[in-house]
Amino acid sequence: MNPASPEIGAQLITLMAALMLVMQLLLAVQPMLFTSVRLYAIQSFLLAGIAGVVAFFDNASHVYILATLTFIGKVIFLPWLLNRQLRRIQITQEVEPLLNAPATMMVCGGLTLLGYLVARPFTSLERLGNNTLAIAITLVLTGFFLMINRRKAISQVLALLTVENGVMLAAVALTTYGMPLVVEFGIFFDVLVAVMILGILAYRIRETFSSMDTSKLNQLKG
Amino acid sequence: MLLTFILIAPAAAGLANLFWLPRRIMWLLSVLAFGATLAMGIVLLHQVLMRGVVTQWNEFFYADALSAWMVLLISVVSLASSLYAGHYFQRDLAAGAVTRGRMQEFFVLTPLFGAGMFLVVLANNLGVMWAAVEATALSSVLLVALYNRKTSLEAAWKYVMLGSVGLALALLGTVLVYAAACKNNPQGLPSFNWSQLMTMAPQFDPHLIKLAFVLALIGYGAKAGLAPMHTWLPDAHSEAPSPTSAMLSGVSLKVAIYALLRFHILTSACLGSGFSRHLLLGFGLASMFLAPPFILVQRNLKRMLAYSSLEHVGLICAGIAMNTPITIFGALLHMGYHALTKPVLFFAAGNIHQTFHSLEFRIIGPGVVKVLPVTALLMGLAAVAAMGLPPFGLFFSELTVISGGIAAGKTTVSVMVLIALIASFCGILQQLTRILPGARKRGRDNETDASPFAGTSAMALLLGTLLVFSVWLPAPLLQGIRQAAGIIGGKP
Repeated sequence: MNPASPEIGAQLITLMAALMLVMQLLLAVQPMLFTSVRLYAIQSFLLAGIAGVVAFFDNASHVYILATLTFIGKVIFLPWLLNRQLRRIQITQEVEPLLNAPATMMVCGGLTLLGYLVARPFTSLERLGNNTLAIAITLVLTGFFLMINRRKAISQVLALLTVENGVMLAAVALTTYGMPLVVEFGIFFDVLVAVMILGILAYRIRETFSSMDTSKLNQLKG
Repeated sequence: MLLTFILIAPAAAGLANLFWLPRRIMWLLSVLAFGATLAMGIVLLHQVLMRGVVTQWNEFFYADALSAWMVLLISVVSLASSLYAGHYFQRDLAAGAVTRGRMQEFFVLTPLFGAGMFLVVLANNLGVMWAAVEATALSSVLLVALYNRKTSLEAAWKYVMLGSVGLALALLGTVLVYAAACKNNPQGLPSFNWSQLMTMAPQFDPHLIKLAFVLALIGYGAKAGLAPMHTWLPDAHSEAPSPTSAMLSGVSLKVAIYALLRFHILTSACLGSGFSRHLLLGFGLASMFLAPPFILVQRNLKRMLAYSSLEHVGLICAGIAMNTPITIFGALLHMGYHALTKPVLFFAAGNIHQTFHSLEFRIIGPGVVKVLPVTALLMGLAAVAAMGLPPFGLFFSELTVISGGIAAGKTTVSVMVLIALIASFCGILQQLTRILPGARKRGRDNETDASPFAGTSAMALLLGTLLVFSVWLPAPLLQGIRQAAGIIGGKP
């Protein structure tokens, strides 16, 4: 390996992290649910790629396991599960989010700025790439915003999953070689089970309310 | 192997119940499992008192006095809930409120819920602790949605969404703690074990730890129902079946507090106690002052009880935040007494719901005592305990917190705590006097007949235990709570 290679690794990571942010912004503005799932899969693929690059350039073999887990779980299994749920409840499109696309874009732009501001004091901690922490925080913030903005139960689940991607990006960016494997396994299985349970709930909501619009969940007050 | 068995017993019972077993066997299995964990919890307490800490699997499991205390609380509440559930579901099945499959769901998920909580308090690794908290949220969400009514689905959705958002933040906080450890230890993988982190804590980057604690506070605080992240709490508590409400309120909230405490101890070791203490105090007092007005305006019995739990969680946080050995001791004691009291109230609410088919005050009352004399009596006693009147233990623990605060010169905070407690006392008293005593109105024959003793054995058992422990705390238990208070207060 030539001496320049860590440099290339850092650039690759920066690039892929930036692409993750692009996916998030696309996810925020487009209404088709199947496309959203695909965008989430691409974003997760980029996350797996970042883990792979870390593993390759740092010679940390256990990060390969993390990359593989991410790939199998979040690029193949979860999108498949979400697609199946979407077909089962026969919903293809998000109905009128609270804010329209241009306004959503404005808010996401503002949140990105905020993410960079919040991350600034900690940039010295980033071990890999530039601005990965800022992007991670932005993913978390925009994910929360998406959860508020979307009404369909499934879209909210997707938004939650992007938040989780952001946290995992922060974990890769800030720590030496990701977290210990047992923790990664724990988080991984929790996310899988969470999506299954949320799917069951969303299905029951759809059956009972004949709609998946969570703004109709408004009977309990006080 | 003790720590492993504490985890395995309920998990095995839950998995065994996956098979199509008769109701009695499923009930017996869960009761046996939690009975076993209670016994093991007592053994664990003795071992912890002798050795300080008990570890296993290369320190993967780690139990100090605080963990042992939590294990006891979880076991007692889960055991009582399981005991009560047998009868509760018998009546629900007879009334057609649940299907057999849903009942089985309960007996599978409840032991798993318990196992998740045991893992939270026994895990040494902060990441594993996070995963376990998430697991408790996931196993309880389907329990909240068990009745499949519109309102219960709404409650479950709010619960899981708010919980997940909070836990995502808590995960970020956990990651930041690990990042701080990595920064200190650039070569190789540092340990993520709490016991190891504690030894390194003074050298951590204070900015990172501050941010991590704030995130953990919001995250685990949402799970603990601290105001203003409490909005899921009354919904989930009122819509869940009563045994689940009892577990959610009795221990699940405290398990989240426990997770928060681990961060609090770590932050105090790094920054001195001021930073995390003040935040904890702010959130605790906010919860205490938010609860009484909501108790007063509630029209639903279980929602009112949920707000009362909010009050008690706030008191526990405030007691810990005052950070004197006496107030922390009082707060831990309060956890225990509250765990013995609140389930009784929820069980009573369950009996009332099954008899009157409603939890609305105007439909239930007045005159519950005429229809359900034993339930009303036990409920009245438990309510008196929950309001903090002697001779029940909550009076002593509240007194300990307040007098400890005043003795330490924290008069303002102590007086504020006292005012909030009095306000909620008045609220609960006003609401319960509306329904429990008095004569039945005519033309109300919506009640299902039930024997007066139905579903009261678990309540009587808990109340009896509360009374016994109110007047007599065994020396080992006292020693254990003292030790736990020392861990939180920063002294070994």
